[in-house]
This record gives sequence, structure tokens and C-alpha cells, in this order.
Amino acid sequence: MKITALLVLKCMPEGADPIILANACDVSHFGFFQRSSVREFIVFVSRTVGKRTPPGQRQSVQHDEYKVHSYNRNGLCVIGFMDDHYPVRSAFSLLNQVIDEYQKNFGESWRTAQADSTEPWPYLDNALTKYQDPAEADKLLKIQRELDETKIILHQTIDSVLARGEKLDSLVEKSSDLSAASQMFYSQAKKTNQCCSIL
Amino acid sequence: MPVKLAQSSFRDRTQEFQSVAERLRKSFSSGPGQNGPSSSTSRAEEQRSVVAHQSEFNRRASKIGFGIHQTSQKLSKLAKLAKRTSVFDDPTMEIQELTAVIKQDITALNSAVVDLQLFCNSRNEGGVSSDTSSHSTTVVDDLKNRLMSTTKEFKDVLTMRTENLKVHENRRQLFSSNATKDSPNPFARQRPLAVKSAAGAANNLPKWANGSASSSQLFPRKQTDGESQPLLQHQQQQQQQMVPLQDSYIQSRAEALQNVESTIHELGTIFNQLATLVSQQGELAIRIDENMDDTLANVEGAQGALLKYLNSISSN
Repeated sequence: MKITALLVLKCMPEGADPIILANACDVSHFGFFQRSSVREFIVFVSRTVGKRTPPGQRQSVQHDEYKVHSYNRNGLCVIGFMDDHYPVRSAFSLLNQVIDEYQKNFGESWRTAQADSTEPWPYLDNALTKYQDPAEADKLLKIQRELDETKIILHQTIDSVLARGEKLDSLVEKSSDLSAASQMFYSQAKKTNQCCSIL
Repeated sequence: MPVKLAQSSFRDRTQEFQSVAERLRKSFSSGPGQNGPSSSTSRAEEQRSVVAHQSEFNRRASKIGFGIHQTSQKLSKLAKLAKRTSVFDDPTMEIQELTAVIKQDITALNSAVVDLQLFCNSRNEGGVSSDTSSHSTTVVDDLKNRLMSTTKEFKDVLTMRTENLKVHENRRQLFSSNATKDSPNPFARQRPLAVKSAAGAANNLPKWANGSASSSQLFPRKQTDGESQPLLQHQQQQQQQMVPLQDSYIQSRAEALQNVESTIHELGTIFNQLATLVSQQGELAIRIDENMDDTLANVEGAQGALLKYLNSISSN
């Protein structure tokens, strides 16, 4: 369950390669000498995917062992490189969040960008580390998980309540026996009082 | 004169001294030894054997101490070697040889110390002065302590060496992990795509259709007739393939929402059942309470009756 990279691109209308607006990569699990080539590869594939995603569409492409998810909204395209186990829905909700955040932060300034921007965007880096766990990104997944836990706890509660019911049953029996015995005791005491006064 | 002494090596005159001592002893024992030559000789022999034992003990103890010292020197050499290991020129052979040698030495010294202790105990049963016995036991203990500290240092050096090896292994893995996925494939695959012109987009499309169809298993038949049709229909098909993907995303969200709703509904049912059970048990609790009240009343009445009975009995 790993996100390897998140990128924001500006998609040109036709033909030209998209321009990279923000880039966050996590290549720590590669060997030291492959890292730069992996980054190049990520940039290249994201440009290709961004070019091929029509506006207003979501797309997922399988590439070797990565799934590349892309979401294009009116020319602003956001792309994520995830592994196969990352749920698709969480991936797209994460992309939605990123694109909303970007538009909130940068407004429409990206429309005038002409060249690749290389300054890091801290929100993207934070998002990359925070959302390695898909439950963080996808509220539905989190809610489902919590509900399942609650159900398990409730099952345990019901089991313990049933046990309590059995104990209460036994207590009822014992208390009724006790009350009968005490009644006998009372009647015996009254009898001894009435019958034999002089022994 | 002093120079000459320094030049000449020491001469071992112990033998001469021992012979002189023998002669003197013999002369002493032969003098007053008329009444009990056997006893005195036996005493002399005993003394001699005691002295011999003592010197034997000292000899062995000194040998063991020397061995321990040598082993600790070898150990310090080994520690230096182990600290020095780098990733590439690892003096493994030397380290292993040295380790084996040190281990042998330590085991031999161990057995020697044990022997020495047995010897000292056996000699102590011969009834010698307590000072000698305490001295010998102290010496044996000291040797044992030193041997133990040497063994502990040996163990530390070995652990340090294994840790170093592990660190080197990690670093080696970091640098030489094979590039299976990244470099050759994308450039080999994508460059033909990038070079092709718009007319060649017909070939590109099935690849992308393959890509997107892997995540949405709808419309496989669109791939087969993608090759031979003009660009407009390509775009339409592309749109149609995009829309089911979009739908599938939305559908999956809807499905998740429905799951959540059904789970919440089940939770509601479970809570209802819980409430029923608890209310039923509450009724049981009330019954128990009533029974206990009855019992209390009965017992109190019985107690009063018995008291009256007691009064009536005791007053007569």
C-alpha cells in the first residue's frame, strides 16, 4: 500500500506535452543509483498520461507494477503513482483533495505557466507521507473500518449480557428457595411458640 | 662490573640452592634424628612434599596467568581487526583464524584452572596451614575472574563484528539492488509511442485501451475494431471507455456508501436486541429483589417469635 509519487500538471489543449506544476516523489525504497532515473521515468510517464487524459475524466493505467491514476479537471491534471494494492477509490479521492487544495492555494495562476516549475509544494510532500495509508485519504474507508470495529465490540457486549442473564436466572432461583426456607422457619418458630409452653 | 652483569644473562642457580638445602636438611635430620628417623624423615618428606606442592601450585598458577595475558593480547588484536572492517577488503580469514585460536586458548585455560582448583583442594586436605590454603584459594579465584573477564571481552568483540557485518550488508544492498522495473522498460516502450505521429495514434489507442481496460473490465470488444477505424470514432470509443471508468469510480463510491448504510442498519438492530435483553434482565432483577424482601420479613418475624419463646422459657 504505497504511493510513490504525486504530481500536478497543466494540460495543454492539444498535442503539446503537459507542464509540471508540482512534484513529490518518494523513491527511498530504490537503490541509491537508480533514484535519479526513477524520477526521470516518473516525470516522463506522467507527461504521457497527462497528455492522454481528456478534461473532466479520470483514468487508471497499469504500468509494470504501478497503477498510475490521473484526474483531469478543466486542464489541471493531477497524477498519482500507486502500487496495485492501493484501492482505486481512495486514490481518486486523494487526487480530488489534492486538486482542490491546489486550486485553493494557487488560484488560477497555473494557467499562465509556461515552463516546468521546480519549487516544492510542501502540502504535496505532506500528503505523500500522510496518505500512505489509504484509510486516511478515503473517509468512507475509515468509517467502514470503525463501523466494523464497533460491530465486533457490540457482539462481545451481547455475549456478556447473555452470560449476565444466566447468572441472574440462577440468582432468582436461589432467592426464591431462600424465601421459601425463611417462611418455613417463621412458621416453625410460631408453632413452637404456641404449642409447648411448659416443657 | 655492573655492565658485565647486565650483559650476562641470568643464571638459573635454583638447582644449586636446592641441593644445598637438601644437604642441610639431611644433616639436620641425621643429627637429632636418632629417636625417630622415620618420623623425621617422613616429616621432612612431608615438608618437602608440601614445598614441592607449593612450588608446583605456583608454577601452574603462573603458567595460567601468563596464558591469560597472552590470550587477552590476542583478543585486543582481534578487536582492532574487527573494528577496522570496511565494506570491501574484509580480513575475514585472519579474523576467523584468530577467533578459532582464541577460543582454543580459552577452553584450554579453563580446563587448566579447573585442574588447578582440584589440585589445590586435594592438597588442602593434607592438613596444611590455613594461610597457605587461603592463599591458594585466593589465587585460584583471581585466575578464574580474569579468565571470565577475558571470555566476556571475547563475546563483546564477536557481537561487534556481527553488527558490523550486518551494517555492511545493508549498505551493500542499498547500493547494488538490481534495476528490474524502471530504466529499460519505459523508454523502450514509450519512445515508439512518442515518436509516432497523429496518424499513428491508431496504434497507440489499443495500448491505452489495454491499460484502462485492466481497471474496468467493460467493453473489451472495442479494442479489436479500434485499429481500422478513423480518428473520430477513436475519440468516441475513447470517450465511451472513459465514461465507464468514471462510472466505475462513481459506482464504487456508491457501493461503499451502501455498505456503510447497511452496516449502520445492522448496528441499529444489534442495539435494539441489546436493549430488549437488558430490559428482560431488569425484570429478573426486580423479582430477585422482591424475593429477598420476603425473606427478610420472614426471618425478622421468625426472630421475633423465637425471642418471645426465649423470654417465655426463661421466665418460668
